[in-house]
Amino acid sequence: MGRGQPPPYWVLFVGPYGLYLLVFLVLPFANVALLSVYLHSPTKIAIAEFTTANYSKLWELYYANLFFRTLRLSLAVTVVCVALGYPLAYLLARARPRSMTLGLFLLIMPLMVSTVIRVFGWVVILGNEGLVNQALRQLGAGDGVRLLHTEGAVIVGLAQQSMPFMVLPIMASIERISPSLEEAARNLGASWGQMFTRTILPLSMPGLLSGALLVFSVSMSAFVTPALMGGRRSRMVGQQIYEEVLSAYNWPGAASLTIVLALLMLGLVGLALWASRRRARLETAR
Amino acid sequence: MAGPKVELEVRGLTKRYSPQVTVGPLSFEVMEGEFFSLLGPSGCGKTTTLRCIAGFETPSEGAIALGGRRLDDRPPHRRDVGLVFQNYALFPHLTVFDNVAFGLRLRKVDKAAIERRVGQMLDLVDLPSLGARYPAQLSGGQQQRVAIARSLVLEPSLLLFDEPLSNLDLKLRIQMRYELRLLQRRLGKTAVYVTHDQTEALALSDRIAVLSQGRIEQIGTPSEIYERPASAFVADFIGSSNVLRARVRGDGGPADTAVETEHGLLLTIPRIPDAAGATVTLMLRPERFQMAALSNGDAARANRFTALVRDVTYLGEDLHLRVLASDRQPLLVSIKNSKGTRAIASGAAIDLAIDPEDIHVLRR
Repeated sequence: MGRGQPPPYWVLFVGPYGLYLLVFLVLPFANVALLSVYLHSPTKIAIAEFTTANYSKLWELYYANLFFRTLRLSLAVTVVCVALGYPLAYLLARARPRSMTLGLFLLIMPLMVSTVIRVFGWVVILGNEGLVNQALRQLGAGDGVRLLHTEGAVIVGLAQQSMPFMVLPIMASIERISPSLEEAARNLGASWGQMFTRTILPLSMPGLLSGALLVFSVSMSAFVTPALMGGRRSRMVGQQIYEEVLSAYNWPGAASLTIVLALLMLGLVGLALWASRRRARLETAR
Repeated sequence: MAGPKVELEVRGLTKRYSPQVTVGPLSFEVMEGEFFSLLGPSGCGKTTTLRCIAGFETPSEGAIALGGRRLDDRPPHRRDVGLVFQNYALFPHLTVFDNVAFGLRLRKVDKAAIERRVGQMLDLVDLPSLGARYPAQLSGGQQQRVAIARSLVLEPSLLLFDEPLSNLDLKLRIQMRYELRLLQRRLGKTAVYVTHDQTEALALSDRIAVLSQGRIEQIGTPSEIYERPASAFVADFIGSSNVLRARVRGDGGPADTAVETEHGLLLTIPRIPDAAGATVTLMLRPERFQMAALSNGDAARANRFTALVRDVTYLGEDLHLRVLASDRQPLLVSIKNSKGTRAIASGAAIDLAIDPEDIHVLRR
């Protein structure tokens, strides 16, 4: 670029946000990465001496279980969201504009309430003296069933919280599928189910995939919900990081957990995107 | 021969959307191998009728039978009816081959037979080498052929077309219209064709049902519809026409009746017995006027009058003239462009003639 020549226009468009990301995301993250290879000191938090101890410690069974559990719970949340969200997304995408607006409003409304308050709502419902247990007692079906502070509770809480992230992208991709494609498939002899699996489902795959990735990422890094709704045996990585930072003052330990979590998510998301790209290329080979 | 067999029978078909918006009751029959069009402006009920036949709308009343068997209680995928959509509705994630094979695969046809039948069908619609392409890589005309092939390969008893050519440009539309007609004739398929384009309906159909506001105005062959429209609506919708209100003055001769239009033009029309004093509605096609004396027909009976040209629209093959006949009656006149028409300009006076047989009395 010569002197006095204006920078290419995209610099002006991307520049401000790029700078923002650099200062508030890239640099702090680089700092975290650096911290993760520093030696932990109970008195000074971290000493600028390089070590791999923070990472090798993660091979211990406790941490392996932690990561495995986090993956498993996030996957379960994703599956629950697909199962409950897809039919809803289809219905909304094919609804009349007015019903669609109302449905979208109801879907997004929970996002306007803080997570803490929402989780408290779940406590009221699932607690030992909560609505569900009261109902069970009335029916004589159980006394004080432990619902809260279980893995199930974490899945329920996270699924409810991330449902809009699943429904919205699926809905957007179904909306783009012309209803006449459904009719064409029916006209060619497909039952409703055959029509669905052969047209709507493959054509809404991009939306389903983005929804799943969003929900999975949100769940993987969840902190408040597992902390308040989960028990000691359903701890997730987010909670562990929080405790390493605030209770144990082991910042290098927290940093190594953070880096591994980030790499894990990056890897999985990348894999999913690569798979879908490949699929899309096969379909629209040009 | 025992005469043509009824393939599709629609009896009292009614679809009520609301007390104000109702289609029908409609009744018509389509013969085996016939090309039958439903023609009318948007909102006339033609697409609703088609969708009832295909099973995508449930009629409020009435019966639909195909080949003598009730159709209306069967779900859309068990109707043996092929529908070609206005927007083609090809599956974007499937190749041309897979689009055409879609219905065969649902019917569990074996692989070799699918290969063969899809291949034959793509040959038939003149797209033999495009099986591996995706719909997005095809032109509009090619996409429409794939859509037709996709329906035809299942050998349905009835083909339905929902304005299939309206998304194509004019040249292609005319070519596809011709090919569609050839294909339908060759395969002898019964077809119901929905369109708002009167030229298309006239060019393609064996018979046409003209619809207006949910009712059938007239059913007839293209020439019946054009030459002897049953109503002012049909006369106006098909081609252009002069619809004139006139009062019967009395008998004009052994075969004639004399009338005077409300703007005072005196005309001789084919005899209406004992109608003196009655009011009639006349329809005159613009192209039936002639400039010179009538050379054929009964020259002595011809209506002749002088007309003042008020406006000329030059269309190449034809000239469209807006004239005032006998200083009073506005008329639309279409004449062939020829040497003699060069002098015609706004303000000129021309002599026009029209045969009484070319004046049609509308029943309503």
